[in-house]
Amino acid sequence: MRQVAIVGIGHSKFGRRTDVNLGELAFESIKQAVQDAGVEKKQIENVTVGSAGGWYEESLPAVIVNEYAGFDKVGTMRVEAACASGSAAVRSAYLSIASGEAEIALAVGLEKMTEVDTLTSVELMGRAGSYVWEFENYGMTFPAYYALHAVAHMKTFGTTEEDMARVAVKAHHYASMNPLAQFQKEITLEKALSSQVVSWPLKLYDACPISDGSAAVVLASEDAARKLSDTPIWIKGIGVSSDSANLSRRDGYVGLAATVDASRKAYALAKITPADLDVATCHDCFTIAEIMAYEDLGFCAKGDGPKLLRDGQTEIGGRIPVNVDGGLKAKGHPVGATGVSMMVEVSKQLRGEAGKHQVPVKHGNGLVHNVGGTGHYCYVTVLSRDQ
Amino acid sequence: MMMDSEPPTLHSRRTLSLRFNIPISKTHQFWDSLRDGKFVTTKCRGCGMVSFPPQSDCPECMSGDAEWVDLGTEAELVTFTYVQVTPTSFVANDPYLVGIGRLGNGLKVLAWIEGTTLEKLTPGMKLKVEFRKTGDGSSYYVFVPAT
Repeated sequence: MRQVAIVGIGHSKFGRRTDVNLGELAFESIKQAVQDAGVEKKQIENVTVGSAGGWYEESLPAVIVNEYAGFDKVGTMRVEAACASGSAAVRSAYLSIASGEAEIALAVGLEKMTEVDTLTSVELMGRAGSYVWEFENYGMTFPAYYALHAVAHMKTFGTTEEDMARVAVKAHHYASMNPLAQFQKEITLEKALSSQVVSWPLKLYDACPISDGSAAVVLASEDAARKLSDTPIWIKGIGVSSDSANLSRRDGYVGLAATVDASRKAYALAKITPADLDVATCHDCFTIAEIMAYEDLGFCAKGDGPKLLRDGQTEIGGRIPVNVDGGLKAKGHPVGATGVSMMVEVSKQLRGEAGKHQVPVKHGNGLVHNVGGTGHYCYVTVLSRDQ
Repeated sequence: MMMDSEPPTLHSRRTLSLRFNIPISKTHQFWDSLRDGKFVTTKCRGCGMVSFPPQSDCPECMSGDAEWVDLGTEAELVTFTYVQVTPTSFVANDPYLVGIGRLGNGLKVLAWIEGTTLEKLTPGMKLKVEFRKTGDGSSYYVFVPAT
C-alpha cells in the first residue's frame, strides 16, 4: 500500500443552514479544500461523498455535488456508514490512492438535516437500527439507544447525570472558540442538568443538535503530496469494525465493542499507543458516548471515563485533549459531514492552525473516532504530522 | 414571499408517504405463535445455535435448516430508558418505557415495559413477557414486572 496524505481541507459553517441547498452547502467546503491543496479540479480522479441521506430531497447526492462543483468524468459514489459516512468516504478515497489507482482524490462529507421537520428527523435516526424488531412496535429513537448505554454505565460504574452534563459544558466551552460551530455560547452545569428530558436519563443538553453542514479533504499520494504541500498530514492507519444491527444481540451496554476493535486495529497500523496522541476527536453524539469513547479507545480504564473528564485530562493542557472544536455535541452533527469534519479539525491541530483552540503538539499524532449508528459501524483513523 | 424568520425557500409540493411491505414468509411462525400466546424463535438443526430475532438461515454455520423452539417468558431487566420525545409516527403515543431483558437461555430481547413506572425500574429486576395486539390486530410483545 502506498502512503497517503491530506493536502487540502475545507469546512462549512455548521448549523441550521436554510440559506443554501445541498450542492451549495457542499461547494463551500469543496472550494476551500481544492484551493487549500492548490490542485486543479481536473487533477482530481475520484470524488467520494459520505452522506447517510434521507433528510433531503435528492436521492443521488454525489452527482448533485459533482455537477454543482464542476467535476465531470470522475470515479464517484455516495457511501453510507450512518454517522460514520464521512470517515467511510475518506477511507474510500484513501484506498483509491493507496492502491495505486489514483494520485489525487476528494472526500466530501455532507448532510442537510433541517429540510424536514424535527420529529421526522428524529424518526429517520430512530430507524437506524433494526426496523422490525426495534422500531415498528417500540419506536426507538437515537437518544433512546444511547440512554440504554447510559443507564448500564450508571448502574455498573456509578456514573452520574452530572458526569454526563460535564461533557456538554466542555463541548460548549470549546465551541465558543470555533466560529464554524453550531453553538457559540457556553453553558453551565445547572443549565445542562435542568434541560428537558429527551429519553431518560439523557436530556436536551446531553444530545447533539440536528445540523446541516459539509466538510471536504483532498488526499494525495506521497509523490503528489510532496509537490503540493509543505504540511501534508499523513493517514497512518484506518481501523474499521462493526457490530450487530439489533442492540439485543450485543454482549453488554457499557461501551461499544466496535470502537474497541477499530481503535486497536488503527493503533497497530499506525504503530502507536494512546499515549502517543496529542489530540482526539471522539464521537460524542451524546454525552455518554464521549465518556464511553475515552474508555473504549484506551485513554483510561473501563469505568474511569468520568474521572478522566473531572480531572481535566481531556481539556487543552490535559493528557489527551478531546473534542476541543466543540465536538458533535456543540459544533453540530450533520451526520455524513462529521467524519470529514473530524479529519479537518485534527489536520488543523497538527498543522498548528487551530487558532483559539490549538492544542500543544508534541508527538505529532491525532485521532479521529467516528461511530455510525449506535456502534453499528466504527472507523478510527490515526493522522500524523510526520511521515 | 419571504417571511421574516426564513430565507427564500421552495417548499416541495410533491409529498411522499412510505409504507413498506415487509416479507415474513420465513419467520411467520414467530408472529403466528405470538397470536397464540407463545414466544418462540429459531434453532439451527446444523450447529444448535439459537437466534433472537429469529432467522431461518443460521448466521453461525449458514445452514438453512432451522426448527422453532420455545423461549419461555421469564426475563431479567438488563437496561432501560423512558422515551419522552417520540418520533413522528409515534406522536399519538404517550411516552414509553423501553428495556432490554435477558431470557432464561441468555438471549436478549428489546421491548416496551408496561404496567410500571420509571422510578420502579432497576437493572436485575424480574420481568415477564406478555403479548399484545394493536388496533388492527397485529401482535407484539412487551415486558411487565414479574409478580
